Amino acid sequence: MDITILGQQLLGYIPLGDIVLYLAPLNLFMFASTLAFTTIIAISKTETQVEAGFGTLKDREVKVDKSEFKIRRFLAIVCGLATAGAMITGDLFNFTLFVCLIGIVNIGIVAAVKQVDVLDAAFQYGLVAMIATLPLFGGAAMILASTGTISLLEIVDLPTTFMMVFGSLLLFIGVAGETGVAPFYATKAEMFRTPGSPFLLIIHLSSLLVIVRVIEILLIINKPF
Amino acid sequence: MSRIGRLWNSLATPKRIPRFYSVILGVLLLVGFIVPLALNDQQLYPRPEPQLQVNQQDPFAPYDRGGVPLKEPGIIKSQYPHFSEKAGMVTSYVSPIGIGVSKTTLYYGTSIYSSPGGLIDEILYYSRGFDTVLESSILMMAFVVASWVALHFTMKRREEE
Amino acid sequence: MSASVLVPGVVSPVVVSLFVPAIFTGLIVGIIGLMAIAYQKNDLNALILTDIVGVGMLILVAAVGTDLAEAIILPGLVVELAEILAISEILMSREMKKKGKNAELIPLPLSMDMEIMTTAPTFLALILIVHGAFLSGFTGGAVAGGGILFYVLSKRMRGVPANTWEGIAGVSGIAWCLWLVGFLVFFVFPQYWLLALFLAAFGIFIKVAFKAGLIGVIGREEFSKK
Repeated sequence: MDITILGQQLLGYIPLGDIVLYLAPLNLFMFASTLAFTTIIAISKTETQVEAGFGTLKDREVKVDKSEFKIRRFLAIVCGLATAGAMITGDLFNFTLFVCLIGIVNIGIVAAVKQVDVLDAAFQYGLVAMIATLPLFGGAAMILASTGTISLLEIVDLPTTFMMVFGSLLLFIGVAGETGVAPFYATKAEMFRTPGSPFLLIIHLSSLLVIVRVIEILLIINKPF
Repeated sequence: MSRIGRLWNSLATPKRIPRFYSVILGVLLLVGFIVPLALNDQQLYPRPEPQLQVNQQDPFAPYDRGGVPLKEPGIIKSQYPHFSEKAGMVTSYVSPIGIGVSKTTLYYGTSIYSSPGGLIDEILYYSRGFDTVLESSILMMAFVVASWVALHFTMKRREEE
Repeated sequence: MSASVLVPGVVSPVVVSLFVPAIFTGLIVGIIGLMAIAYQKNDLNALILTDIVGVGMLILVAAVGTDLAEAIILPGLVVELAEILAISEILMSREMKKKGKNAELIPLPLSMDMEIMTTAPTFLALILIVHGAFLSGFTGGAVAGGGILFYVLSKRMRGVPANTWEGIAGVSGIAWCLWLVGFLVFFVFPQYWLLALFLAAFGIFIKVAFKAGLIGVIGREEFSKK
């Protein structure tokens, strides 16, 4: 397969049956940086937050206990791997599944905290993530119905129809809900108040990279240039 | 100006986010009624007309895609046939018990989902196997999260020990 | 007797003509679910209503009407189930924190004192597990898991500690790895496709069965607490 995607020459591909992971320079860069960040997270320790007490001079340390630390590190590593996978996958449906995996792991990372407010935010984020499966899979199905394929390497050569535009819009709003970007960020902002910092950063990084990747996919589907 | 401020403030309440999101999504779904929709008939993995195989008394209906178990591959129309060397072999495979059952009944096809081999296994395990890997990882992660929350908070087992 | 048409060249016109009505149905179901979520005030209601939205998603995928669509409905369904499992647990733990009360994990309104629970569990569980092993895959896992669930629910001895739980969960994880090996064998050694098929089918069988079994272990813990 000698093709170019968005002006990039493919460096190679990993065929797994119908699902082909492709390695273009941009995707490879994002893949490598996610893996590097995941490695840093895997070997780091959590921070300890210090809360100032009212009316006294004492400070209170908010620590993360060991079992909580373990589960969070595990989920953070899974989140990193899922983000890395979403960067290089060349199949639309496979991409939506990666995004769903990122969504559920994000909920899990914050579900281990004890503050009621944060749990509430995690629950609301979970609701949005569940609703978002409709536009995610529905959008992918629209594109499948309209083109007869869900491989991005095939879609890149096909002319765009209105139905594909509609499908890609659905896909975009699905990813926006699942990763919690603006204007749906309030649920996530609340989640950041919990102690246990480096693991929370992966939530940020994953949504950032997934948005970059979904914009690449939208460009591939809609071909504005 | 104060109205915009109020809007931003209301967006900062986590409880409102699912509602806000569902309103936006609902509006987008309404657009779907005016977009010209049509099914492209050049699809991957097409299937015969509904009820056609059933009416012809095929025991494997509606999942009969031809082939001889372990010898000849069944017919499938996958995206990249050259990437799956043994494509169709899983489609045609039926376990010995399955063959025995299919000789006694005309409706074995309805349970082909639940025996090794067959068309759905071909797609789920082989040609789109990576999807199933992810899918079961999602299930596993959800289970890890749910059982962790259950063991530590809901049931408070750890504290009791 | 084998059928005359095994695989057609194009999608049959019946399916093509049903596509637009099916999509409209999916959209309407989705909109009804979304409007309900937008109007309601209760968190539990919202969680249940998201399931209706999920049904809308399944209709949209099913409208394509090919074997591929049939195969990709399954991931969609599993994602819905998985998320509702995790989120409902979070909702419960939040409500408990708010109210400071403990609740049962599986609140059963009726007492489970039935004779069948003491006389038949081994026999019934064995039949279900053997039948599940014959079916293999997701379905088999669910059937065999039902057998294990029934067995542990009916045997009310003092429950296992949390470490045992982690042990059983570990077996499920190992089954997942087995299955991943099966998936790789398909592509690295295509000539052993039969081995790969069985690794995949039984890996997923063990995994699903143990998941359902674990729910039974939690349930028994709850009963034996009383």
